[in-house]
Amino acid sequence: MKTRFNTYLLIVISCVTFSSCEVDVTNDLTIETAAPKLIIEGGLERNLKNPLDRQRIRLTTTRDFLNNDTQTPLVEDAVVTVSDGNTPYVFSYAGDGFYENTEIAPVVNGEYTLKIIWNEEEYEATETLNEVPLFDAIYSVFEEETLVTDEGYFAKFDTTDPEGIANFYYHRIARNGEFIVVPDPGNSDVLVISDEFFDGQQRVGVNPNDEIIFEIGDEAIVQQLGISEHYYDYLYEVFVQSSAGGFSFVGNPPPESIRGNVKNLTNSANRPLGFFYAADVEEAKLIIRE
Amino acid sequence: MTNLKMAVWLGCILYSGLLYGQQEFTLSGYIQEASSSEKLFGVTLVLNGSIGTTTNEYGFYSITLPADNYALEISYLGFQTIRQEITLQGNQKINFELVEETNELDEVVVKSNRVAKAITSTEMSVATLKTETIKKIPAILGEPDLVKSIQLLPGVSSVNEAASGFNVRGGSADQNLVLLDEATLYNSSHLFGFFSVFNSDAIKDVKLYKGGIPAMYGGRLSSVLDVKQREGNAKEFNGLASVGLISAKALVEGPLGKGEAKEGKGSYMIAGRRSYADAFTFLSSEFKDVSAYFYDLNLKANYELNENNKLYLSGYFGRDKFGVKGLVNTFWGNGSGTLRCSSVLSDKLFLQASGIYSNYSYNLDNLRSGAEFRWKSVINNYNFKPRLSWFINGNNTVKVGTDFTYYNFKPGQISPLKGSSVVPQTFQDNFAFETGTYVDYQQKVSEKLSLQYGLRWSTFNRLGKAEVNQYETGNPLTYDSELDNYIVNPVVGTTTYKSGETIKSYTAFEPRFSMRYLLTDNSSVKASYNRMNQYLHLISNTTSATPLDVWAPSGTYLKPQSLDQYALGYFKTFKEGAYDLSLEGYYKNIRDVTDFKNGADLLFTESVETEFVQGNGRAYGLELQVNKNEGKLTGWLSYTLARSESKVLGINNNQYYPTNSDQLHELNLVGIYKLNNRWDFGANFIFGSGRPVTYPTGRYSQNGLVLADYSDRNGNRLPAYHRLDISATLNPKSGKNGKWTFGLVNVYARQNASSIYFSEVSEVNDQEVATGQTQATKLSIFGFPLPSISYEFKF
Repeated sequence: MKTRFNTYLLIVISCVTFSSCEVDVTNDLTIETAAPKLIIEGGLERNLKNPLDRQRIRLTTTRDFLNNDTQTPLVEDAVVTVSDGNTPYVFSYAGDGFYENTEIAPVVNGEYTLKIIWNEEEYEATETLNEVPLFDAIYSVFEEETLVTDEGYFAKFDTTDPEGIANFYYHRIARNGEFIVVPDPGNSDVLVISDEFFDGQQRVGVNPNDEIIFEIGDEAIVQQLGISEHYYDYLYEVFVQSSAGGFSFVGNPPPESIRGNVKNLTNSANRPLGFFYAADVEEAKLIIRE
Repeated sequence: MTNLKMAVWLGCILYSGLLYGQQEFTLSGYIQEASSSEKLFGVTLVLNGSIGTTTNEYGFYSITLPADNYALEISYLGFQTIRQEITLQGNQKINFELVEETNELDEVVVKSNRVAKAITSTEMSVATLKTETIKKIPAILGEPDLVKSIQLLPGVSSVNEAASGFNVRGGSADQNLVLLDEATLYNSSHLFGFFSVFNSDAIKDVKLYKGGIPAMYGGRLSSVLDVKQREGNAKEFNGLASVGLISAKALVEGPLGKGEAKEGKGSYMIAGRRSYADAFTFLSSEFKDVSAYFYDLNLKANYELNENNKLYLSGYFGRDKFGVKGLVNTFWGNGSGTLRCSSVLSDKLFLQASGIYSNYSYNLDNLRSGAEFRWKSVINNYNFKPRLSWFINGNNTVKVGTDFTYYNFKPGQISPLKGSSVVPQTFQDNFAFETGTYVDYQQKVSEKLSLQYGLRWSTFNRLGKAEVNQYETGNPLTYDSELDNYIVNPVVGTTTYKSGETIKSYTAFEPRFSMRYLLTDNSSVKASYNRMNQYLHLISNTTSATPLDVWAPSGTYLKPQSLDQYALGYFKTFKEGAYDLSLEGYYKNIRDVTDFKNGADLLFTESVETEFVQGNGRAYGLELQVNKNEGKLTGWLSYTLARSESKVLGINNNQYYPTNSDQLHELNLVGIYKLNNRWDFGANFIFGSGRPVTYPTGRYSQNGLVLADYSDRNGNRLPAYHRLDISATLNPKSGKNGKWTFGLVNVYARQNASSIYFSEVSEVNDQEVATGQTQATKLSIFGFPLPSISYEFKF
């Protein structure tokens, strides 16, 4: 279990000094931009409750960090395949950087290898799909405002962790059909969790994302994903980096680009970013009531 | 074998001492402060203008000389010099009392050789500060602070205003040995670095060794901060209380076993301090769920058993609390107790021994619903430190001793709170035994040349009971150059060690050497070399240390860090000591410096060996300090030019990169102006060139969030830092007891960048959303002038 409690120390800094201040310096800085790198985003999902008609992987490249005027550069001319050890499935380009395949049917404990050929360089990554336990119950609860959450209705669930297996979970939530995530310091505590300290136990009242508030009548889709340890470590770093800002004294990690699981077999110096994952998805729908 | 060698070497030294002439007698005794009988450390005694000695930590001196008439001069900064004729025709014990220089302005300033010690001592890279000076320097929120004050000296700095600890000559905060009455403190900060754990009222003096560290000290690479608590007034009962913006403090002191006598057989001092920052958090509804405060207690007592034997007891207990309702609750701090005895075995032999217990612990409660638990981590250590000092004669002094330390680390205990389903769990204890056996020899070779040299033999044994993981390749981690990342190797088995069984042992010889050569009566050159070994590592995955970082002992997979430091200095006084100057250069080479691997997770990890990597470091620099010691205006100017770099496999493409404490230029100007008997003014100006920062070199998104790509670690620089602080002290009229102190930090409202960070714009119209837009934000911890007021009264 990882807990980035340090993020909240910023609060004490503010109340001790009354004097701290933040200034937007976006337009005062010039930062250097490195040559574009390949970004892999996506993977395979096995969803028994709501079976997917296709699997998607998105390929893009990096761009200038502070320039908000340009669009995400897309990679449109790559050759993408995923193999389950027997059959290579070709993912064909479907626009907006997405590569899709409708044939592949992910299975529990399946080992999948992604291969990408782009700009005469070959990339590769391997992931194993881990089974996820089901929800025991799903319900909505009203909660008062706290320092880090607003007042409102939350979608919560109960679930029982299987004993004797190291499990890693990732939570996703949709409000009225739209999956939402916000850059919040709590993400690394809330959106991903390992069973290190509750192996084999039932967890009651799990809030999949305490930033997402519902109103009566809203429809919630709650997902619990079983993921690999490697993807858990990766997502943990993603959530820390995307929300921690730069306060060294509140436990900011050293500024390092986050290492994924994709290797460049042709030229390891031109390291790609992103992750190719395989996940098992438990899903439930809920209409928020009083 | 090594023990035998040392015994032979020691024997030679001792024998050489006996070769001196027959008609010699010893002058010895204690030197104390007149009003309170506090023993004074570092008082200079000079006989016939040249032969000299200084008092030790217990205020004891001893000097052996041929029978003759001597002109004795005793001097100590801030005290009136004593001049006395001594006829030495037999062993003599004389105790002296020094009287503080009065505040009268028309006083005839005694231009003694009170700063001559800086010239004549073999010590270099040493800084001393007295509480009175610390109290006159402008302080953040009016809380006089030792650690913030030493940062105004050359070669001492901090990563930012809110970083725990301090950095010495480019070293990290865990490389400082912080001693409070000989007890090791593991965390020197309150409230995440805003304040230090030292209550300035309870502190007598402080000495910081940045280099040329004598053989008596070991266990940390970069520095020794030796802090001594006040002993208390042996003549009369006194009290001191103060209220400021951040805390209230009280101190009482008085004699022990006084009876009808003029002076007690001993004395005591008890001091307490409690912040009331939590009171402010109720002012704003925004902070209603936050509680944050700290407190500490200082205690010291001493008792004279008889003329030659004294007993000392000192203690410290401090705690910090920080909590956010429904989220997190933390509680941490140091505690220590020291029992010491000092014994004058003969005129020339002084024995001291200390038994110390110290403890550092923290609790972290996760209060998020569904997974409430408490995490508890503790370090206990037990020390025994005997030391024998032999004052052979005026030119030779030997100190021998051994420091024994037994460690018991309890790295983690997890227990469920509020009936949550978290499974209770305890990580295995780590046990270790450390020794440091040393000989330190001070030798005056000639009028011009003095030497201090020694050897420390340190050992470190990790002990059972323990189970140690064995990894497939023999190492916990393998560097994968394709992923540019470390892969954790599979555990293939464990080795079980019985209770007390040695798991891994390390030994090292640490030579120490320093020399002083007098060029003229008022200038000298000095050189020093020291090798240090550090067996404990503070493993932190943040850019600056926090109280919850993990201390890990060396063992099967974690190697000790070691350092070699070379320093050269030039020292000069001007105008009969009114000014003095020091110029020093140093070079440090560090092996096996620890760093975390990318994405290290330390807080709840039992096998920390899979989270860190070790590499090499180097640091070098030039330090200049000019002091003005006399007149209405006193103070100093210090300038540091320095570099500090590390090289670790898997970080920064395996190239050297600047450490977080790297700062090329640092300039401090401190002035204290005495207007009249009632008003004192203080000011300090700080200038530092930009600290290292890493700017992103690319942007991409994952799972709906914006991320940054980086290339060179610490490859960019923040803007330069500068700040002016002022203070004024209104001393009481004669016969009155109240004192007011006013302060203003950051006078001209400079918005210094504590950090510049890059993030996704995450708030629109008060709603948290992922916008996909990026921004750069500068954070200033002191954004505008910060005033303070405090009131202190004696009773």
